Amino acid sequence: MSVENEIVIQTHDLKKHYEMGTETVRALRGVDVSIQRNEYIAIMGPSGSGKSTLMNLIGCLDTPTSGEYVLNGQPVQDLDDDELARIRNREIGFVFQTFNLLPRASALHNVELPLIYAGVSSRERIKRAKAALAQVDLSDRMDHKPNELSGGQRQRVAIARALVNGPSIILADEPTGNLDSVTSEEIMSVFDALHDNGQTIIMVTHEPHITAHAERVITLRDGEIESHDAPRTPRAQTV
Amino acid sequence: MRILEGIWIALQQIWAHKLKSVFTLIGVIIGITFLIAVITIVEGMNRYVQDDFAGAIFGVNTFSVVRRNQIRTGAESDEQRRQRARNPYITMHDVEVVRQAVPDAWRFSYSVDRGFSQVSYNEHSRKNIRVIGGSDGYEAMQGWTVADGRGMSPLDERMSLKVAVLGADIAERLFPDVSPIGKRIRLGSSRLEVIGVWERQGGLLGVIRDASILVPISTFRETMAWQRNRIGEITIKARSIEEMQASMLEVEAALRRDRKLRPGEDNNFWLQTSSDLLGAWEKINKILFAALPGLVSVSLVVGGIVIMNIMLLSVAGRIREIGVRKALGATRRDILFQFLAESSTLSLAGAAIGIALGIGLGKAVDALTPLPASVPMWSIAVSLVLGLVVGVGSGIYPAYQAAKQDPIVALRYE
Repeated sequence: MSVENEIVIQTHDLKKHYEMGTETVRALRGVDVSIQRNEYIAIMGPSGSGKSTLMNLIGCLDTPTSGEYVLNGQPVQDLDDDELARIRNREIGFVFQTFNLLPRASALHNVELPLIYAGVSSRERIKRAKAALAQVDLSDRMDHKPNELSGGQRQRVAIARALVNGPSIILADEPTGNLDSVTSEEIMSVFDALHDNGQTIIMVTHEPHITAHAERVITLRDGEIESHDAPRTPRAQTV
Repeated sequence: MRILEGIWIALQQIWAHKLKSVFTLIGVIIGITFLIAVITIVEGMNRYVQDDFAGAIFGVNTFSVVRRNQIRTGAESDEQRRQRARNPYITMHDVEVVRQAVPDAWRFSYSVDRGFSQVSYNEHSRKNIRVIGGSDGYEAMQGWTVADGRGMSPLDERMSLKVAVLGADIAERLFPDVSPIGKRIRLGSSRLEVIGVWERQGGLLGVIRDASILVPISTFRETMAWQRNRIGEITIKARSIEEMQASMLEVEAALRRDRKLRPGEDNNFWLQTSSDLLGAWEKINKILFAALPGLVSVSLVVGGIVIMNIMLLSVAGRIREIGVRKALGATRRDILFQFLAESSTLSLAGAAIGIALGIGLGKAVDALTPLPASVPMWSIAVSLVLGLVVGVGSGIYPAYQAAKQDPIVALRYE
């Protein structure tokens, strides 16, 4: 089996319509995306372009109005809420713009959360959560609460939390949106390292210098894919 | 595992907002405190009545011949009213009839008593006392022993001596500084020489013994009785319950024969035993236990409503957390259990505080009043179950509200 060519995400004619009063908003108008394992994808587009909708669908937070979505070999377009929750738990690691850590829990407990919902035993959870924190270089901060950590450290805890279940994809939504440029680069280098280790990464962003880290940029406009491109600025030049 | 997560979160919440938690839980705390305190005191009373009180008043294997049932709960029953109207007084003649009916009784005594408004010695006095005219053997029957001086002797009765044995309370009041033995007290128009003081009984029963004065029954009949021939009660103590039951039949038969009652005619006397008293107590007990659930459930329902509202607030304040948990793979059921565990932990914490306070209150009553207290294990179990029921009951609606959140909306919630 060739890891390089294995397809992780395959969508066909993905549509999402919302009823807003009497009007129907067609947020996605038939999107075909194919993403291979260990790809590093950036999704771009102006607001209203449907990139959030696409991200929700790819992240299994929502189901399409029509079309097909196969995630890691499994069709997921018709699953119910609880089945989607289990898919999210196993297959997807979320990284959010606002970190979304539990404020009263330690870094370690935050990273343990997905494992709790996966039903992993306490001993195993702690072992794996510590390993994930080590991967983002935060072993010495695992007993700290989020408010005792810097923004960059918080986002690294969130990345560790996304990694800990060994997901098929990491789905990052504007992961540097709340960080200064130095910290942004620090976080982007964490993603780069993960990618180098074989992780598939999908990043929603509107900052061109962030897209530079990606191998491929998908640009959306008016609910349709406008272009599949290599990044405009090669990554080597920004580092 | 997920339930543990809920419990852990709940404990954190309680700890982070200690004052708020106390107010949240106040309904449950009051309800459970009340429940435990009442059960503790009633149970203590129960044990006391059964173990000590009935035995101390009537003695074990003891019965009395009296004119009518003296134990009343609430209003006088028709039977009691009829007895009062119909039954003749117990007399010295009855004493002889009973004595001959049970010649082998272990102990036998008879007595009569009346209240006196006051007893005095010099300038010291004690109001509202009871004077007992007791036959020889009365103290032995009651199990009263003297702490100072001596008790009644057969000679005192035979000679109708003007002597008295005092309860500890009376002795203390009349003789704060000097020994009472040999002093002459004034009781109505009589003057009596104090020959002894009983040991203090204390507690609930002390109300009777410690405020009583015993004189020979002969003396009492000659100088204090309103009706010289009337006897209050004849008391017989048997060696065993079987012997007591046999003696009761003998006494009943002898009195009926003597009073010429026809077969089928009701007794015109009453054989009082400790079971009469226990019956009365059980009646009181039943009333207390009938009222308890209503009072407790009112405060628990109020407590549950408060917890439900606090949980709704908690859910509203943690929409984003719910979104995060759902994004990370929590199912509806996970979220439901988390919040149910949280409300249950809250409520159980309230129940635990209530149990502690209730036991404390019971102990305080035990220490500060003559009422005894005893905490039965089942009351703690009942309290914990009630705490759990209130917790789950008040958590269902908020937990459902939390579980049905759409993760996309919840994640964007500000």
